[in-house]
Amino acid sequence: MFSMTNKAGVTAAWRISLGSTIVFALGTTIAFLLLHHYVAQEIQRRSDAWLTGEVSVLTDVAEKTPRGALYDRIVDEIAELATKEVPVGRGPVGDPSRAVFFLETDAHSELKLWVGPGDGAIFLRAIQQSRFTPEHPVELPVAQFPIPYRVVQYIADDGSRIYLGMSERNDRQVLDRLRTWFLVIFIAIVLLGFAITFVSSRRLLRRVQGITETAAAIDENNLKSRVPATPGSDEVAQLAATMNRMLDRIATAVGQLHTMSDSLAHDLRSPLTAVRGKLELALMAGNREQSEEHVAAALEGLDRLSHLLTTSLDVAEAKAGALRMHRTRFSLNALVRSMTELYEPSLLEHHIQLHVEENAEILLDADAGLFQRLLANLMDNAVRHLPSGSNVWIALRQEQEFVCLRVWDDGPGFPPEVGLCLFEKHAKGNASHGYGLGLAFVHAVVTAHGGQIVGSNQEAGGAQLTIMIPARAERLSESAFLAG
Amino acid sequence: MRILVVEDDTTNREFLRRSLEENSYEPVLASSAAEAELASRTGDIDGAIVDLMLPDGDGISLIQRMKANGLSAPVLILSARRSVDDRVFGLETGGDDYLTKPYAITELLARLRNLVRRTETHPSETKTILQVRDLKMDLLRREAMRGDQVLDLTTREFALLEFLCRNAGRMVTRSMILDQVWGMRIEPETNVVDVHIYRLRNKIERRGEQPLLKTIRGMGYVLNDK
Repeated sequence: MFSMTNKAGVTAAWRISLGSTIVFALGTTIAFLLLHHYVAQEIQRRSDAWLTGEVSVLTDVAEKTPRGALYDRIVDEIAELATKEVPVGRGPVGDPSRAVFFLETDAHSELKLWVGPGDGAIFLRAIQQSRFTPEHPVELPVAQFPIPYRVVQYIADDGSRIYLGMSERNDRQVLDRLRTWFLVIFIAIVLLGFAITFVSSRRLLRRVQGITETAAAIDENNLKSRVPATPGSDEVAQLAATMNRMLDRIATAVGQLHTMSDSLAHDLRSPLTAVRGKLELALMAGNREQSEEHVAAALEGLDRLSHLLTTSLDVAEAKAGALRMHRTRFSLNALVRSMTELYEPSLLEHHIQLHVEENAEILLDADAGLFQRLLANLMDNAVRHLPSGSNVWIALRQEQEFVCLRVWDDGPGFPPEVGLCLFEKHAKGNASHGYGLGLAFVHAVVTAHGGQIVGSNQEAGGAQLTIMIPARAERLSESAFLAG
Repeated sequence: MRILVVEDDTTNREFLRRSLEENSYEPVLASSAAEAELASRTGDIDGAIVDLMLPDGDGISLIQRMKANGLSAPVLILSARRSVDDRVFGLETGGDDYLTKPYAITELLARLRNLVRRTETHPSETKTILQVRDLKMDLLRREAMRGDQVLDLTTREFALLEFLCRNAGRMVTRSMILDQVWGMRIEPETNVVDVHIYRLRNKIERRGEQPLLKTIRGMGYVLNDK
């Protein structure tokens, strides 16, 4: 499996480097072609400018110089001089005198003067085979010369024609050199670029592969592997860090799940045994009435079991930060009123007096269902644990952005053995017949809403619980809660 | 009335079938979302009971699909989750209801009855006078009488008695009472409801007569109409 990922890493590196190299090479080639075109045009433009400039000078000289023995020599020398001013390719490239020719014909197209390489007659023949527009340079292929000449024609007033030509050899050499250099540099850069891209993407992908291997090594039994920390703060290092954080969270969640299922199994076994026992008794009962009695008791046991399961899971989920909430805005006063109205007969039955202290209407953003159950739990506690003749007080107060719910009584207080673990599951007094889930649930609901709960025994005797909850659900705390 | 039952667990499905038949409903059974969709297209359905956990998809999307296909009947959602999904809340406001497992069959039947009635506005909903044997309730005047004796009831006791009267002859569970009379979905660990019933009973029962309000142990209460 790893060899597969390795191969995949190599092909991915290959693909990345090949792709980027091809794009780079294509781009460079297009840029070079444009540049080449521009340079070639520029060279020709310069040559043509030189040719037209020189031919007018030469014509001028030819016209002004009287015909005679001196004429040939003067024009010859001027032509010689002109050839030394060739705009491009001076220096080591060939013999400039071979690069330029000067040719004059009379009105009958007879060769009058020839300055240039080789035989003037060959050039004359070539000229006669081409069409010229005066003062417009054209390309002229000449027999025996592999490289054509660029030639400009000028017609003097006496009808004689003057031709100045320059070999394109130098121009072509310049362009040839340009192409050669480009090719060499191009190949070098492309190869180097490919190598660099390949190596760096390979290195990057190898780090990604490390993450892949870690992920592959993780199964339900091994959540301990972590991606090796990579230095720096680039995207891959961030990926590694994120991955590790995610693994931490998963490990925590799985750990909590184990704890949860263990404690759930523990919570359910004894009540299940009780239900089973009642059903067995029902089967063995001598008459229908007795049997029905046991079945009814078993049903009641099942209801308690279901309630226990619900609460137990809620407490565990809240501890794991995964309790689902459906927040709405409701009046806490109204909720407390209907809850006291529901429980008052029960409390009175036990000769317990309930006193509610409230002044202003308090609106709370919370899960109303959870709060109903929270209050029911507190009331159930009062009914179950307070001795006859006790008093319970409930006080509602708004303190800035917090809602304070205080419940206290003049009973015996929390038993000393419950002590510090008041809100832990299974924390209950020796005399209690409950499952020790009530206050754990209350605590879970309060913390899930971002609040705090403090329980203590008052100096004057009696237990007291103080719950502080943010009145408004902060978007942040809720999302943090969901993410947590 | 044809009730579509979508439940993949065979035992539960059979149990629902029997209970529905005993209460003169006509159950249409489906064990998967695909079967349910087919059944909802082909048969005239007056109500549906849908389990959220199905082998071939979740119940919420099934309900959404069935409604998109023109199912107008109300849906009772059965959820194994104790804290109910937000999406269920969304459906609930759309006229449907939910029940968490394990449920008392009487509660399921009562909720189903409510749902089906809600869509047809049953005459008993609009009745202003309720009568069970010689117990008479005038809802407009907020007055209850046993024979010719006016009963002295608190507002909540009146609401409790009204709920019992509306369900006369049928069993109601404690959680139904808490839900319908107090608007609370809680499971108290003490006998709060029993105390209220006890007080109400003291006000409506007459010594020496057959009791009107009967306790069925382990289940709930029945207001005897015979």
